[in-house]
Amino acid sequence: MLRYEIKKVFSKSKNRIAVIVLFVILAITSILTINRVEYVDENGNSSVGISAARDLREAKNQWAGYLTADTLSKVLEENRTINSSKEALSDDITEQNKAYAKKQGIAGIMDVIIYAFSDYRDYNYYVTDQISDDEVGTIYERRISTLKNWLESGEERFTQAEKDFMIQKYKELKTPFYYEYMDGWAALLQNISTFILMLALVIGFLVSGIFSDEFQTKADSIFFSARFGRSKGISAKVGAGFCIATGFYLMFVFLYTFIVLFILGADGANCPIQLDLWRSVYNITFLQAYLFIVLGGYIGTIFAATLGMLASAFTHSTPTAVIVPFIVLCAFPFLSRIITLPGLCSFFPDQLLEIYLDIKEAGLITLGSKVTTIATVIVPVYAVVCLIFQPILYRVYQKVEIK
Amino acid sequence: MKLELDGLTKEFGDFTAVNHINLTMTNGVYGLLGVNGAGKTTLMRMLCTLLKPTSGTICCNGKDIFSMDSEYRKLLGYLPQDFGFYPEFTVEDYLLYIAALKGIRPVVVKKRVKELIAKVGLSKVAHKKMKKLSGGMKRRAGIAQAMLNNPKILILDEPTAGLDPNERIRFRNLISELSEDRLVLLSTHIVSDIEYIANEIWLMKDGEILHKGSIDELINSMTETVWECLVPKNRVSDFMEKYKISNMKSEINQVMLRIISHEKPVENAMRVEASLEDVFLYYFGEKAGDENAAL
Repeated sequence: MLRYEIKKVFSKSKNRIAVIVLFVILAITSILTINRVEYVDENGNSSVGISAARDLREAKNQWAGYLTADTLSKVLEENRTINSSKEALSDDITEQNKAYAKKQGIAGIMDVIIYAFSDYRDYNYYVTDQISDDEVGTIYERRISTLKNWLESGEERFTQAEKDFMIQKYKELKTPFYYEYMDGWAALLQNISTFILMLALVIGFLVSGIFSDEFQTKADSIFFSARFGRSKGISAKVGAGFCIATGFYLMFVFLYTFIVLFILGADGANCPIQLDLWRSVYNITFLQAYLFIVLGGYIGTIFAATLGMLASAFTHSTPTAVIVPFIVLCAFPFLSRIITLPGLCSFFPDQLLEIYLDIKEAGLITLGSKVTTIATVIVPVYAVVCLIFQPILYRVYQKVEIK
Repeated sequence: MKLELDGLTKEFGDFTAVNHINLTMTNGVYGLLGVNGAGKTTLMRMLCTLLKPTSGTICCNGKDIFSMDSEYRKLLGYLPQDFGFYPEFTVEDYLLYIAALKGIRPVVVKKRVKELIAKVGLSKVAHKKMKKLSGGMKRRAGIAQAMLNNPKILILDEPTAGLDPNERIRFRNLISELSEDRLVLLSTHIVSDIEYIANEIWLMKDGEILHKGSIDELINSMTETVWECLVPKNRVSDFMEKYKISNMKSEINQVMLRIISHEKPVENAMRVEASLEDVFLYYFGEKAGDENAAL
């Protein structure tokens, strides 16, 4: 039965078109993501693509290793040398690009130094001119002290427990950081949320007719008068929705990841996320961040698809069911921009697709005496909600009467 | 197999679609005859557990069919009036899916589907998409799905609606062939559909069973007589106003009328034997003139 339910979905031309659209989205998003990684050659010409990623990887991996005081000092020295070269001092853009070409290997480390010596929410490019070789090794301590200063400045309102939580997380971060080329992961994480959003909408579209099409095609009478029409037949529908949502989600996320990392390289999976997202309170690696984002996206996709199917079973209308994922994933964030719902917006289901933003700048929540990040709460909560919705969906359809 | 309807009533708001019906059915063919809106489909939907009655019960061999749930539906084959299907499925796929839904064992399902496809004459189009079939072929696929589980109770709601005369005759013969050893309930507003195959006919109007019995019993229940007479063409409208006309046949300058009346309509009128169509007109009056009931 499950096979036929899935077959019903993909026998519809509009759904086949939706799958083609998904492949187009995959191609466009992959290209845009790949183009994020740029390499400037010794002549000052920039390029993107496989060879650019390969060259950039080669340049950065010359500096691969733990970011100790010694390494940081060498990086600072290298930066000074390049800055004092005639190319860097030239007014000609091409000459400056040539200087930048030499800096690409240390650019990632320089970013870390700049963040460490800037104010909490600042990126002061010129701060490197003021850092001494002795000072540069204190980046990890400075990360904590900058946070403390910011928390005490009163710019943001946090409870003492929340402040303690953030400081504790900063202190728990394992140092020194291991550095290597990780631009493939960084580019992947920056674009994956948008890709998952589009994927979730198309999946919502695909599953929207699973329940209502019986009424639209007037096949409902035969369905419900069959022996298993009010039992296994419904389970097959619920199962088909779940299989399509899961299968498509995993397949397209895998394809996107594979394309991007195949071209840009998968190095840096075990580097700390702070190399790219300096202020993050999540003490995780790029790979862990990726898995967390993908998990959140999956729960969000299943949630939107389940709500769509629920609307489909309730209203017997496919167009209504199609709209539901749009409302859940697109209208909610829009709503949060025009209506002030302090705190509440962070718990909207669209946030499941924005885990990257939470990793970058976490929202905090206090549960009893325990402070944690919002993403770590909403992912399991919505997973449970999805599980609760399944029997509700089953019961709603089981009780249908054909008038 | 015994189905008992006891005080069966279905109300939709203020409207009573089926009003306190008491009936008993055993194996055989039952024809449910009534004009559009008589409540036939609502009654059949309740018999198929698609609708719950407002009051009253339906029992199968003494057990309430809604309590029996899937055990009752296991015995059931149903072809609805608006036969819906999955347009992109082939005939074979469609039947395989319905077979799965009916819980037919996978080891026998392919053989059963093949047999039924052959029986309803769809072997040549078994791999064609349902949407490409003619109306008659779709209906035959409909009867095939109803027969998949070899049902003990076969419910056919207006099975010949929209079919051409050839297809209708073919369909009627098919139903007759399939009706052995089972309870068949067939609803229609086309008299000829059930005239030859029903053991018992129920006349339904405004949610109630007006009369039931064999064709002879129904004919005998008429208190009026059927007459045939030749009348001038210019007098036809006068006769139509005064009598129930069950048939008209034009001849040169004259029209042969078939009239249902207590009294002899004209001197030259001949008393003739009543048919089921006459009974239909007798009971359903002016509504028998609807274009759908013309046959």
